[in-house]
Amino acid sequence: MTEITVNVNGAPRTASVEARRTLADFLRDDLDLTGTHVGCEHGVCGACTVIVDGRPVRSCLMLAVQAAGHDVTTIEGLAPDGVLGPLQQAMRDSHSFQCGFCTPGFVMQATAFLGAHPDAGEQEIREALSGNICRCTKPTWGATYDSDRGSALHRLQRQAL
Amino acid sequence: MTQIAAQRYTGSSVKRSEDLRILAGAGRYVDDIKLPGMLHAAFVRSPLAHGRVLAVDASAARSLPGVVAVLTGADLDDMTVRGPDPLLAMMGGGGPTAEYSLLATDKVRLVGDPVAVVIAESRYLAEDGCELVDVDYQDLPAVASATAALDASSTPVFANLGNNIIGPHKRSEFGDVAGTFAAADRIAEFHLDVHRHQNVPMEGRGCIASYDSDSGLLTMYAATQSVHITRMGVAACLGVAPERVRVLAGDIGGSFGLKIGASREELAVAAASRALGRPVKWVEDRSENLTVSGQAREESFDVRAAVSDDGDLLGLDVSMVIDTGAYPVMGSMVPSIIEAMLPGPYKLAALGFESTAVVTNKASYIAYRGPWASETFVRERVLDLLAKDLGLDPFEIRLRNVAPRTSPPAMMVTGRPLTGVTTRESLERLTQVVDVPAFRRRQAAERARGRYLGIGVATFIEAAPGPRAPEGSGGALGQESMRLRLAEDGIVMLFTGQMPHGQGHQTTLAQIAADEFGVPFEQVRVVIGDSDVVPFGLTGGSRSATMTGGVTLHGARQLKAKVLDVAALLIEASAQDLEITDGQVAVRGDPDSAIPVAEVARQAASGRFGADVDATLEVEATFDGGEGGWSGGSHCAIVEVDVETGIVKVERYVAAEDCGALINPAVVEGQIRGGIAQGIGAVLLERSAYDQDGNYQSATFMDYLLPTACDIPRMEIEHLQTVPLDADVNFRGVGEGGMIVAPPTLVNAIEDALAPFGVRIYEQHLPPARILELIAQQADDDADKPVALAERRSRSAA
Repeated sequence: MTEITVNVNGAPRTASVEARRTLADFLRDDLDLTGTHVGCEHGVCGACTVIVDGRPVRSCLMLAVQAAGHDVTTIEGLAPDGVLGPLQQAMRDSHSFQCGFCTPGFVMQATAFLGAHPDAGEQEIREALSGNICRCTKPTWGATYDSDRGSALHRLQRQAL
Repeated sequence: MTQIAAQRYTGSSVKRSEDLRILAGAGRYVDDIKLPGMLHAAFVRSPLAHGRVLAVDASAARSLPGVVAVLTGADLDDMTVRGPDPLLAMMGGGGPTAEYSLLATDKVRLVGDPVAVVIAESRYLAEDGCELVDVDYQDLPAVASATAALDASSTPVFANLGNNIIGPHKRSEFGDVAGTFAAADRIAEFHLDVHRHQNVPMEGRGCIASYDSDSGLLTMYAATQSVHITRMGVAACLGVAPERVRVLAGDIGGSFGLKIGASREELAVAAASRALGRPVKWVEDRSENLTVSGQAREESFDVRAAVSDDGDLLGLDVSMVIDTGAYPVMGSMVPSIIEAMLPGPYKLAALGFESTAVVTNKASYIAYRGPWASETFVRERVLDLLAKDLGLDPFEIRLRNVAPRTSPPAMMVTGRPLTGVTTRESLERLTQVVDVPAFRRRQAAERARGRYLGIGVATFIEAAPGPRAPEGSGGALGQESMRLRLAEDGIVMLFTGQMPHGQGHQTTLAQIAADEFGVPFEQVRVVIGDSDVVPFGLTGGSRSATMTGGVTLHGARQLKAKVLDVAALLIEASAQDLEITDGQVAVRGDPDSAIPVAEVARQAASGRFGADVDATLEVEATFDGGEGGWSGGSHCAIVEVDVETGIVKVERYVAAEDCGALINPAVVEGQIRGGIAQGIGAVLLERSAYDQDGNYQSATFMDYLLPTACDIPRMEIEHLQTVPLDADVNFRGVGEGGMIVAPPTLVNAIEDALAPFGVRIYEQHLPPARILELIAQQADDDADKPVALAERRSRSAA
C-alpha cells in the first residue's frame, strides 16, 4: 500500500492505495466521487474521462499512484454548488443525451478540449469527441451545426441540438 | 388531436428534469451504490465454446485472504430452484425447453459461460480468486453456425433436446400462396443474411443483492427495464414468494432490450447473498458484456417473390433460420413476430412463411431494439432488388404497392388491420424534402468523374401500440396501470412501473399530468424503481408513449375529479364550476375564490369531512391503449462510397416519421436519432464475430466498433402528426423505428451507389473490406462472362 495525496477538485485528498488501483476506482470507491463512470476499462469508451493538470485522461488507464501530487478535476468539480456550468447548461438546453452514463466523460472531454481550443470548428469538435462513445444519441452531436460566430461554448450548444 | 385540459407543456420540448443530476455527476447508477459490509462477485468463465466440466478445484481460491466464498455450479444448484430463464418462463416460448443451471455444472456451452463465482472483500480480490480456480475441461466439437446446428450429426448443445433444434420447423400460409405464385408474371429468388450484433449499453449489467436474515427479505438493487419482472425472476429462482423480494432501481445506463428480467449471473449473486447473509455486488466488465450478456439478429432468409411485370408484389414465400445461441431466452419467439409483420404496409396478398430455430455455442439471442427488425430488412431489400430487375424507381415500386388508406382499414394478409398507417404520406414527404430528380442528375455527373453516390429509401411500421384487436377484446399491448396521489404539499405523485433508462419518463409523464391536472410541471413527481410501491410495468416494446402517456392522462383526469369534489366542499361551490389552474383551485371566472391544491390535500387529510365523503386523494388508473394504431415512417439516405477504400460516408439522412401527437419533440427526436445511429453502426461497423470453433472475436471495443461523432451525419426529421384515432390519447411509440429501418435504408443507398459495378447486396454488414470484396467479386463475374461465351463458341465450332 502506498499513501498518496491527490489534489481533487481543488482540495488535497489523501489515501492509502494498492499500486494496482486505478485512478477511476480511487475516485469512485475511495473518495465516493461516483460521477466518473467506468464504461470499458480498456481506454476506448471515454466514460471515465477526468482532467489531470488541464488535460483529459482516461482514469481507467491511469493508476491512482500516478496521480499523486497532480491536480484532478472530475465532473463533481464542474458544478460544486449544484449550479451547472455553461457547457453543462448548453447540453441540458439541447437535450444532448439520454441515459446519461457516458455524459460525464463527454463533459470532461469537451471541457478540456474547448479550454485548449476555444475557436475550434465543427469537424475539430467532432474529432475531439470521437473518442467518447455514446449509445443513445451522442454520436449525433453536430447534427445542426451552424457556422455562426460566437464562443466555443455557444458553438457546442448549437451542435448538440 | 389529443384531448388534454391544457397544452402548456405537452407537445413542447420541455427540458428534462433528469438532466440536472446527470450533468452534475449526481446520477445514481447501480455501481454507484455502496452498502455496509458489501462483498464483490466475479465469475470464473469458460475459455471453451463447448466442453465438459470434469472438475472444479477452488481450494486455492478459497484460501486466498479476502475471498469469502467460491460457489460452483453444483453449489448453486443446491441453493436455487432449477428452471429456464425467468423471462422465457414468463413469456412461454412454446416448443422444447433446454435444461440448464445457473452456473455450468456438467458442460460449458459458450465462451464466457460462468462456471464458478468468487465472492470477496473487493472486486480486485474477487478477480484474484478467479485466477486461482482450476477447472478441468474436455473439449467438445463446437456448434458455431446455424448450418452446423441443422446437421443432424452435430453434438447436441443441450442433451435433453437430443439435437440442436429449439424451434422445430413449421410452415404457415396466408392467402392463396400456390395460386399467387402460379399466376405471377415473374418469380424472383434471393438468399438474405442478417449478421449477429448486439445492444452494448454504456453501462453493462449489474446488481447488488442484499439479504436480511432477520426478516428473510432480499433487496435487489438492479439495472432493469422492469423491477417487477426482475422480482419475479429472483423469487422463482430462490424459491420464495415474490413478497419476500424487493427490487429497487435508480438511473440505468441504457439497455435497448438487454436488461429485462434477471440474468443467470444476477440470480447467482442473489443466491450468494442469501447464503452469506451479506450484500453482494456484481457489475460486469465490458468483456463480459460483449461476450456473454446476449446478442441478436443472426438470421438467414430464403425468399421467393411473386411479382407482376408492372411491379406489383403479389406474394412472398420466406424460409427463415434463426441462430438463438446457447441458453435460449427469446430467440425462438422471434420468427412468429417476423411472420406477422412481414407484409408491412403493403397490399401483399399471399405469404408463405416457415422457420426453424437452432441453438449454437454462442451468446444467447436476446431482445435488441426492434427484435423483429429483419422482416423490414428483408421486405425493403427485396423491393429494391425487384425494382432494379423491373427498371422501376425505388419510390415508385413502394408507392405502387402500399395498401390504400380505407375505412375500415385494409388488413395485412397475416390478419391485423393497418389502422392509422401513413406510409404513402411519409414516402411523399420524403420526395418533397429530397429532390430526387436533382440528385439523379448530380449522381450521373459525379459518376462520370469517378465518384459514386447512391440514394436509398425504406419504410416501416411499428406496433406501438398496434391496432386494437378486431373483436374489441382490448389493446394490443395489454393494460398499463398507474397510481396517482395528491400529496399534502400539493405535489401530484405518479407511481409507474415504467423503468426509464434514457427515455426521460420523469419529464414526459410529468408534462402530461401537469397539463391535465393543472399544476406547474415542477409540481409533479414521477416515482419509479421500487417494486414495493409501483404497479407492474415494463419499459420496452415502445409501449410507454401510448400506454403510460394514456394512463397518465386518464389518471390525472380522475384524480382531478376527486380533488374538485373535495374542493367544492371547501369553496362551497359546485364541482362543475371549479377549475384547477397553475396549482390553484378556483370558481371559474372568480380568481378571489382560489385555494392552493396543497390546501385541499391538507384539509382532505385532516379528517374533517367525515366518513360520508371520499377524501382519499388517490386513484388507481388503468388504460388499455384506446384505439391504438401503428407508428411508422420512411427514411431516405444519400451516401458516397469510396470504391478505392470501401468507406461509406452518409452525406444526408432524412426521416419522415408518424408517431401521432408528440409529447416532447426533443425526446422523440432523440429516440429517432439514436435508433438511426445504431442502424448505421449495424451496417457499417458492428459485428459479433465468432470463428469456426466458436471463439468470440469481438470482446473489446477495439474489435466491436461503435459509431462515434465522426460516423453519424446530421439528420433531418419530419414529423407527420396525422390520424387522430382515439378520443383522448394519440401519442404513439417511437423507440424502435430508427433501428428497424436504418439498415435497409443504408444498404439500399449503398447498392444504388455501386450500381455502375453491377453489385447486388444480400447481406446487412458492409464494412469497408466487404464493400471492396463485393466490387471485386462482381468484376470477376463480369470478367468470367466473355470467357464462358468464348468457350461455348469454340465448343459449338468444334
